[in-house]
Amino acid sequence: MNIISIRDIRKVYHIGTEKVVALGRISLSVAQGEICCILGTSGSGKSTLLNIMAGLERPSRGNVVIGGTDVTRYNEKQWALFRQKNIGFIFQSYDLLPTMTALENVAMPLAFRGMDKEIRTRKAVKMLRAVRLGNRMLHRPTQMSGGQQQRVGIARAFVARPRLIFADEPTGNLDSKTGREVMELMVSMARKYRETLIIVTHDPEIAKYAGRVIKIHDGSKISDERNTEAMGTKEES
Amino acid sequence: MKFRDMISMSFANLFHRRVRTVLTVMGVVIGTCAIIVMLSLGFGMRQSMEDLMKSMGDLTVITVYGSGSDSSEGLDDSALKDLRKLPEAAAITPVYFLDSSCVAVNCRKYQFQGMIYGVAMDTLEKFGYEAETGSLPESDFKNTDILFGSQSAYSFCDTSRKSNNYVEPIPNKNGELPKPFVDLTKNRFTLSVNLPEDSTARNKEEKLRVLGTLKEDFSRNPSPSSCIFMDYAYAKELREKYNKLNKVKGSSDFYDQIILKMNSIDVVPEAVQKITDLGYQSYSMESQRNEVEKQLRTVQLILGGLGAISLLVAALGITNTMVMSIYERTREIGIIKVLGCVVWNIRAMFLMEAGAIGFLGGAAGIGISYGISAFLNSLAAQMSASGGGGIFAMGGKISIIPIWLIFGSIAFSTLIGIISGILPANRAMKISALTAIKQE
Repeated sequence: MNIISIRDIRKVYHIGTEKVVALGRISLSVAQGEICCILGTSGSGKSTLLNIMAGLERPSRGNVVIGGTDVTRYNEKQWALFRQKNIGFIFQSYDLLPTMTALENVAMPLAFRGMDKEIRTRKAVKMLRAVRLGNRMLHRPTQMSGGQQQRVGIARAFVARPRLIFADEPTGNLDSKTGREVMELMVSMARKYRETLIIVTHDPEIAKYAGRVIKIHDGSKISDERNTEAMGTKEES
Repeated sequence: MKFRDMISMSFANLFHRRVRTVLTVMGVVIGTCAIIVMLSLGFGMRQSMEDLMKSMGDLTVITVYGSGSDSSEGLDDSALKDLRKLPEAAAITPVYFLDSSCVAVNCRKYQFQGMIYGVAMDTLEKFGYEAETGSLPESDFKNTDILFGSQSAYSFCDTSRKSNNYVEPIPNKNGELPKPFVDLTKNRFTLSVNLPEDSTARNKEEKLRVLGTLKEDFSRNPSPSSCIFMDYAYAKELREKYNKLNKVKGSSDFYDQIILKMNSIDVVPEAVQKITDLGYQSYSMESQRNEVEKQLRTVQLILGGLGAISLLVAALGITNTMVMSIYERTREIGIIKVLGCVVWNIRAMFLMEAGAIGFLGGAAGIGISYGISAFLNSLAAQMSASGGGGIFAMGGKISIIPIWLIFGSIAFSTLIGIISGILPANRAMKISALTAIKQE
């Protein structure tokens, strides 16, 4: 079953009198539990695609269907409520709130849903332990390394058990060793919780962790391949 | 999102930017202090004014004068009748002025030189006069019954001497007052109507009965000082007799004043209006007080306005801080939007932050205002102790902070904070999640 499917997505930016086509008629579907990587160089349109799938941007044409619901014409408020329940996000620069501890950061998406503090703390603790940060729960972002911060970011994306998790260049700010660790963790978490993960990156190394790689160039899909030997699968078996 | 979670997020933000929060709060503190202290000075002024007014006269008393150029014109018995009909009047008395040129009150060779007031003797008690010696008259009194003012003994003149014929009530070195010529309670007094100088007829003397002396009280009109109070009908009779003997033309029917004592201050303005409608002029401490009150209100408005200016500056400070905070947190706001925070929660959090700055500033401002107020009062107390201070120090306190002002100013400063936060909060709400997360 497809958790997300986009059809004939087209995105045109008007810069002055000039038209820039960022995406030209892209269609793709991602199945439940799939780990999918959208690979493309800078300016290929991969970020635009991610923004459209996450409801941060509206396509000029085409439809986005998530979990059977057409969300293309949702307004900002509807999207916010929809994201609360269905979408998790992992950012390149971690983007934890500096005023909060790791625990509070992880529990935050649950707070937006209006969940009781007790319940959400319990869930956040569990998730932080899953990312092996059980001993850093009360640390603030500034007291943690980049890798640790990104692990908090991963816990935050997983805590609400969304249907879909987007990761935008999740290792972009990390050194290659830490990057690998983070990727392994992210992929194993996605397998463990049977989450659908869509990673957007320019780094072919990252693509090796995904079960499916979609290459994008100049706003068009140029390939869509299964990767049966995805890294990180060994751990699960 | 739960209200409590929004509050804790807002406070976490305020705490995170401690220095800026403290500075902004300080702006509000200064603004609040300025308003409270300024207003408290106004209240202090009002209080001392009111105390002063009370010491100057009874607020429930209305004094009626006649209309026309001659102030006594029109105040005859029919006017008295008209005024008696006024509801809410506890007591009413005409006042008939006589002086020593008209009648002579004598005790041996000493002659009384003060004013003689003809009043309704049985109303004196209601008007608040008190007896120092003897007692105030009840309903049964005779024409020749009189009351002396407290200083009347010093108003007797030695007629046998050309100069130095008074005893002045000035205390000597030991603080004792000199003994006056007459003893008001023990001596006998007689009254006679003055005759023309060329008259050969003998003065017919009437014996007076002294009922007592009145306690000094300058807030009363007429004030019971160097004077004699007698029945108004008798005073009128004496004037008539004098006019006849001296062939003075003119009527003796008109009273100089009619004085009303009202049941309460509240009915005074209404009664004054009715009296004006009847065509008489009147004077009351109450209307006087209204005038002063109007001026005080203006002064208070100016003082409050000065304070308000500094609070306005503080409000701009809050707005500035919040706008700055939004610029800094644009990405953060974008992130929480992406993570599913709905926009009105974002607005509510910003309003809470701004409101909290206002609230904290207001609360601290009250504490500091109390300190300033106490300092000003102690300063005023010192000044009045050393003889300075003027009218400000009359009531003892120049700065008064009423309870309602405390709650009022906290509510006001919080409101100011929230209002200052509206613009930034709306701005935060409108930040596009996409542009926010694109920003580094």
